[in-house]
Amino acid sequence: EETISAVHAFPTTLIYTQSFLKFVDKVNEAGKGVVQIEVRGGPEAIGMFQQPDAVRDGVVDMVYTPGSFYGGAVPEKDALVASNLTAVEARANGGIDMIDAIHQEKMGVKYLGWFDSGVCYNLWTRDAPEFDADGNLKVEGLKLRGNAVYNAFFNEYLGAQVIDLPTTEVYSALERGVVDATGWTQIGLIDLKWNEFLNYRIEPCFFSTDLGVIVNLDRWNSLSDEAKKVLQDAAIAHEAESVAELKEKRDADFAALEAGGMMVVSLEGEAKANYLNAAREKTWARMKGLMAEHPSGDGQYDALIGKFYDPALDQ
Amino acid sequence: MMEWYWALTILLGSILALMAIGMPVALAFLAANIIGAWIFMGGEKGISVLLNNGLGSLTSFALVPIPLFLLMGEIFFHTGLGARMFNAIDQLLGRLPGRLSYVTVLGGTGFSTLSGSSMGSTALLGSLMVPEMTKRGYKKYMSIGPILGTGGLAIIIPPSALAVLLATLARIDVGALLIAGIIPGLILSVFYIGTIWLQCRLDPEAAPAYDVEPISLGEKLTLLVRDVVPMLSVMVVIVFMMVGGIVTPSEAAAFGALGVIVLAVVFRCLTWESIKKSIVGAMRVTLMAYLIVFGSATFSQLLAFSGASSGLIRWATGYELDPVIMLMVMFGVLLLLGMFMEQISMMLLTVPIFFPLATSLGFDPIWFGLVMLLALEISFTTPPFGLLLFVMKGVAPPDTTMREIYLSAFPFMGCSLLLVGLLVLFPKIALWLPGL
Amino acid sequence: MQQVTRLYNAFLFAMAFISGAMLVWLMVSVVVSVFMRNLGIQPFAWLFTSSEYALLYMTMLGAPWLVRVKGHVHIELVTAGLRPAARRIISRLVAALCVLVCLVLAWKGVELVHTNLARNDYDVRAYYFPRWLLTISFPVCFGLMAVEFSRFVFGRELMHSGEAGIHE
Ligand code: NA
Ligand code: NA
Repeated sequence: EETISAVHAFPTTLIYTQSFLKFVDKVNEAGKGVVQIEVRGGPEAIGMFQQPDAVRDGVVDMVYTPGSFYGGAVPEKDALVASNLTAVEARANGGIDMIDAIHQEKMGVKYLGWFDSGVCYNLWTRDAPEFDADGNLKVEGLKLRGNAVYNAFFNEYLGAQVIDLPTTEVYSALERGVVDATGWTQIGLIDLKWNEFLNYRIEPCFFSTDLGVIVNLDRWNSLSDEAKKVLQDAAIAHEAESVAELKEKRDADFAALEAGGMMVVSLEGEAKANYLNAAREKTWARMKGLMAEHPSGDGQYDALIGKFYDPALDQ
Repeated sequence: MMEWYWALTILLGSILALMAIGMPVALAFLAANIIGAWIFMGGEKGISVLLNNGLGSLTSFALVPIPLFLLMGEIFFHTGLGARMFNAIDQLLGRLPGRLSYVTVLGGTGFSTLSGSSMGSTALLGSLMVPEMTKRGYKKYMSIGPILGTGGLAIIIPPSALAVLLATLARIDVGALLIAGIIPGLILSVFYIGTIWLQCRLDPEAAPAYDVEPISLGEKLTLLVRDVVPMLSVMVVIVFMMVGGIVTPSEAAAFGALGVIVLAVVFRCLTWESIKKSIVGAMRVTLMAYLIVFGSATFSQLLAFSGASSGLIRWATGYELDPVIMLMVMFGVLLLLGMFMEQISMMLLTVPIFFPLATSLGFDPIWFGLVMLLALEISFTTPPFGLLLFVMKGVAPPDTTMREIYLSAFPFMGCSLLLVGLLVLFPKIALWLPGL
Repeated sequence: MQQVTRLYNAFLFAMAFISGAMLVWLMVSVVVSVFMRNLGIQPFAWLFTSSEYALLYMTMLGAPWLVRVKGHVHIELVTAGLRPAARRIISRLVAALCVLVCLVLAWKGVELVHTNLARNDYDVRAYYFPRWLLTISFPVCFGLMAVEFSRFVFGRELMHSGEAGIHE
């Protein structure tokens, strides 16, 4: 029996970690006598942003983390960030295989699976958002909290200089009015209690979560074929199941938020299309720029986007 | 994987041995990390993780307030503004023995309400009060003890960054936990005042009994307006800036330092010499403390990664015991871990295990959250390695010994334990206010 | 030789000076970003990020100087109970151990910088910041700390005083 050590980027109580732990249970059930995952903990075991390097160097065998935490090494993670598909489609059309190959080449890790996909981000504000004559969102009055994932979009399209705060400081910053708007995934606002201060959700949502399981490549190659199959099968099954589970969770969260008075405001028509285009294209541009700096170049750029973005869905 | 108790023995054993033979605390942590990384993270590549982890823990905005509060206190001291204020308070309070100790507790309680950081408030009060009080003939425990105590108040009395984080991790009501801390926090400062009164009674020598010339009301008013109000107003202004949403608690320290600089300019006592001394003073403590943070953050992670701390927690909570005994076990585990780990890592590690357990034992989660905050607070000043003790050592006069600091801390830790006992007997103390 | 010593000392104090400047920068950057925000201008995101990086540079550039001024706390238990001759030996041994720790970290620091350059690593916050610009502070810091600790191994002065207590 082989044992694989693992850490996860977020605290154990967070919904995304719970999802990963379910995947671990599945592997440990199916892999009895073949392969077992031994979870060593979260950010208390290895720092959140140091985990990608730790798996790359083989200090730990497996990590569950957003691709954005190692965007310097694999800028192609932005294809997932700007995706409007879920892991189910990207698995079927070969997109995840392509991302896997890029991870192996650029980072020396196996990309095992894209979990908790199909969840996107909204802008959430305290006060009713304002729009200009063309229906575009006005950002001048907003005190917007940002982070590395969405800054390309916030800065370059919305023209906002964001206030960069760690997640743990956002609650008190909202409480005191230091910030009055933030991006966040559709799920999880209630767990963080930010809904005590935020009253508006701005639609449409943009981006996608980019949480994935990466495995040290040498360790992966050293596994028996049987062990590899157990891990890969469980990952593919969990890709699909986590999409369904989080959809349910999102609907429940939205209902609870609306019952608590959360208002939904939506951009319309051309303004909406511009907003979505900007989120996507600013992120793609960042990706293309960083790809071009790498010796392997940006030749795969178009193919990659084809696998993770379906324009028909945005019609 | 190694059994958890062997991992624990190796890690704690090496750090204790290295510190005992007199290795600087930060270096002892780094050395223990190298040993631990080698064993548990697969040889020399583990050491790169160690460096990366240290980099991650150090470049965190949460650490910004500490040097700035230190700078604020040092400027107060080196420009003579602090001396002015304490002379005035001394005169205003007349003969009350131990008056500056009371001022420390009252000021500290007030200050706690604005700073969420116990390291920051220990740094400020320590650099502000200890040199002044020593100069006036106070025994050191009369200044060091109350400051170590009020440093801990900072995380119970809202606002408190640590309480928000705990509530978020444990998925309990943030507002309720913050409000639950108010009455216990006030009770605790009353206990502190009682302790000082007792210490003055037991040892009248502890606080100077010198007579102050009686002065007229007019002179008192002048003193108050000229020497006390401007200094206090710096504090008041930063409180208002925080409450009004102009600054976050982490940013408030910068305005504290700026405010004191402005004040020193107004009072014409800002010299290049005093600026230089203040910066050097703030640097000495900050660098010493941050290199320890650099080492101890990784040590915390090694305890977690090796399975040592989670093994200890599971073992200690694995028995079916009476709820009160279970509570004592959890409390004890927190105190033990607290001697070696930093607080956020401890919360990440213990919350997922302790809160479900507490719920199954029938404890109110808000009440339990508060007890946990108290344990974190106490562990911050637990000898031998509570971080606040080292911060205090950094700001106290050079001849202060370890014994003095430890002995000063004990009575005030006793107060916190007494409060925990009261909370167990009368949970309403915590739960009445949020229940309204 | 004297020339080298003087140059080295100048370098050590220059680093300490930068460390102090970083401390002042912490205050300035926070004050400026708060002013901008409250004037309705959105503060530059680099103000925030630079203060986080300043914490690292401040600690790493100042740490060797702190060894020089004996500012790193240690606890004297064993060394306080020993006879002067034995204490001298233990004290120099402890200092030598410190040198060893610093050398290991300096050596791994050099490797880390190499890796960061080879992999073209970035520190991803508000901006993509080249990682080696941060990790370069490790070999510099620990290398100089090793030199400073070795003064307590070979030099006239001892690190330990022989009086019980925490010492700076
Ligand atoms: Na507080
Ligand atoms: Na501690």
